[in-house]
Amino acid sequence: MLKVRGLEVGYGAGRRIVNGVDLHVDAGEIVVVIGQNGAGKSTLLKGIFNMAPFRSGEVTLDDAPVFARSPPALLLAGLAYVPQNRSLFPKLTVAENLRLGGFLLRDRGKVERRLDELHTLFPILAERRRDYAASLSGGEQRMLEIARTLIMAPKVIMLDEPSIGLAPRMVDLVFATARKLAERGAAVLMVEQNVKKALQKSDRGYVLELGRIQIEDRAAALIDDERVGSLYMGVSS
Amino acid sequence: MSDILEVDSVSKSFGGVRAVDGASFRIGAPGIYGLIGPNGAGKTTLFDVICGRQFADSGSVRLAGVRIDRLRVHQRVRLGLARTFQECRVLEEETCLDNVLFAAQDKNLGREMIQTFGRSEAYRRTAMAEAERLLDLVNLGNLQAEPAGNLSYGQRRLLEIVSSLIVKPRLLLLDEPASGINPTLLNMLRDFLLRMFAERQIVVVIVEHNMEFIMSLASHILVMHQGRVLEEGPPAAVQTSQRVIDAYLG
Amino acid sequence: MLPARTAPLLSGALFAAALYLVPVPFAGYPYVLFALTLTLCYAIPAMALNLLLGYTGLVSLGHMGFAGVGAYVTAVLMKHGIASFAPSIAAGTLAAGFVGALVGVPCLRLRSHFFIIVTLAVGMLLFLLFNNLDWLTGGAAGLPGIPRPRPLDLGFAVVDPRRPVGIYLLAATVFVLVFVIQYALVRSDFGRSLAAIRQDETLAASRGVDVFAHKLTIFAISAAIAGLGGGLQVVFLRAAAPQSFGLLEDINLVLIVIVGGAGSLFGPSLGALLFVALPEALRVADAFRMVLFGAALVALALFAPRGLWGLAAAAARKLRSDESAVARVGHS
Repeated sequence: MLKVRGLEVGYGAGRRIVNGVDLHVDAGEIVVVIGQNGAGKSTLLKGIFNMAPFRSGEVTLDDAPVFARSPPALLLAGLAYVPQNRSLFPKLTVAENLRLGGFLLRDRGKVERRLDELHTLFPILAERRRDYAASLSGGEQRMLEIARTLIMAPKVIMLDEPSIGLAPRMVDLVFATARKLAERGAAVLMVEQNVKKALQKSDRGYVLELGRIQIEDRAAALIDDERVGSLYMGVSS
Repeated sequence: MSDILEVDSVSKSFGGVRAVDGASFRIGAPGIYGLIGPNGAGKTTLFDVICGRQFADSGSVRLAGVRIDRLRVHQRVRLGLARTFQECRVLEEETCLDNVLFAAQDKNLGREMIQTFGRSEAYRRTAMAEAERLLDLVNLGNLQAEPAGNLSYGQRRLLEIVSSLIVKPRLLLLDEPASGINPTLLNMLRDFLLRMFAERQIVVVIVEHNMEFIMSLASHILVMHQGRVLEEGPPAAVQTSQRVIDAYLG
Repeated sequence: MLPARTAPLLSGALFAAALYLVPVPFAGYPYVLFALTLTLCYAIPAMALNLLLGYTGLVSLGHMGFAGVGAYVTAVLMKHGIASFAPSIAAGTLAAGFVGALVGVPCLRLRSHFFIIVTLAVGMLLFLLFNNLDWLTGGAAGLPGIPRPRPLDLGFAVVDPRRPVGIYLLAATVFVLVFVIQYALVRSDFGRSLAAIRQDETLAASRGVDVFAHKLTIFAISAAIAGLGGGLQVVFLRAAAPQSFGLLEDINLVLIVIVGGAGSLFGPSLGALLFVALPEALRVADAFRMVLFGAALVALALFAPRGLWGLAAAAARKLRSDESAVARVGHS
């Protein structure tokens, strides 16, 4: 569904944070990218979503080349992105935040229909649809951000550290939400800090270090892979 | 003979979140020390408390036996503490040489005012030779007269560290010095720090995320997790400690 | 660490000499001397504000208030014959410095946006005092009838401040004194610390600078110098009026410094020349003047953030580098 080949991403002239990454995510699976701080995980997602100044490489969505498209065009093509920092409008209601997910869609009827679907899928959000987004708990806010992307009915959803700063119960909620999306046929690409839990809830994993993929395997295998721990501790192989 | 740095049960909360939760450690001997830990472990907050950017809610910090946790930043600096910033701060409009010389300037207000009308520049002459030598060591010698704002990011990092070292601090705190630096420059930085330590025998505490860098540089590592010091020891021991690995992997 | 290109000692001496020689061609033109003397009176508080704004990065929107403190203290002492010129103006200067320190202690702890607003409030407060303490300041009517200083016998000549040439020379002397103080402060270690505070307070503190103490010191010095300028002005005009130290004048002073060139030694004087002497020369109406200056300010913000002095300095640099380039080509 999403294929990335030879992606290089940088912020300033000359310095590449992501140094040639190949990865792919298929429909219905959750793929997690793990790695130390500064390894380039967030930059990788930004690079895919065309939100970094210096990029080169290939990105295809459903075999269509999308590398050069702008973020709005990517959204319309079916690629969604939930950034690491809070991206909600705290003083708008839950329903208004959700509706804003469909900002690019002309067909308001479609937006409303999708909104109803989301209310069925996420009963908690339905219950609190008239509350201000700021009044939700951390986990519920994350859920709202993820749900918001679904208005566009994306094929691929990218999540940047969805569990960060959340209590353990909330972390479970967020990962469960990601699984729901995958079950409905989306391809989910997550970048995560919480290595153990993320690997437990994912299908496959990539380990990113110094801007390159160092290890690639099924998530279950990576959990027991000692190389992962060593990589995190900077032990040179 | 008191420890050079003594952190005793320091706690600091931000709006209900305990960023540092009773952290304690001692550093008695000169050396290069690494302070590592996963995100949210409280490293930066503890660092800020030691430097004076934040005041601890409870606990104490002692520098060579003197309590510093209630002192303001500049007072701690006068007692021999020096620090660099994660975001890398230099005086952009001043030349590299002036950046370094300013660090060496006597900043006592009374003496500065006397100097205004006495016009003695003696300190500049004595510091000049050392400033030039240090700048040469980090390949900034030929950029002495260049405004710091024109330097590349890596060069500014080196300038910032050089400026911190000219005052011969007792305790040098480096906040993620490797962040944003390319591998070649990192090697130079590592070699420079090792050389400075050999010359000056001070205590250097480095907060770092870059594991390869800190493990190959520090002689002793302190690991923080959930606001406390989880473990400490030589790099090899810390790298293979299951407790530490678990802390990182969650 | 030179905050701005400065003329070496020789040019300074030449400049001072030129200043003193101005009356020679203009002795018969009292109006020209009047305009220039007034310019010098404004240049002094402008240099004071420049120390804060241009060198330390502190925006004070009520600075003429301190000039007013100096002005009224000087005026009251001289009008009622309590003291002669020198002690009166010294008292005015010290009083302004003291008020500055008083104001500075609570205000300088505030972050920049709040600090700016509070200085505005302080300026307005001081104006209200000048305007309403009738028994002391004469209220809205002000204090007319301030005597000029007595003539000074220098041996080779007599300087009579009661005449245009005399008061001009007195103003020029005070100007030179303030200029030298400005120069000494800016080029000293203290000035370097101020420049560091302006560029990055957090960094300055981490290098051992007691930021608050430095700010308070320069704020008090700046207020004192403004007071000195105020005292000179009311002695020159023979009257003290609250409007001279109100909101409009506060803003005028900021414009003088910024348009002239904040952070340079000569910028404030250039600004004073432009804002004081030129309008007098052109006899331009007040309202039109403000429109002109507003437009000038916008243009400068867009094209010359270092003010007119900055433009001149940049042009001079370009000229020098062009010359050397031409010289090199010529020798190929």
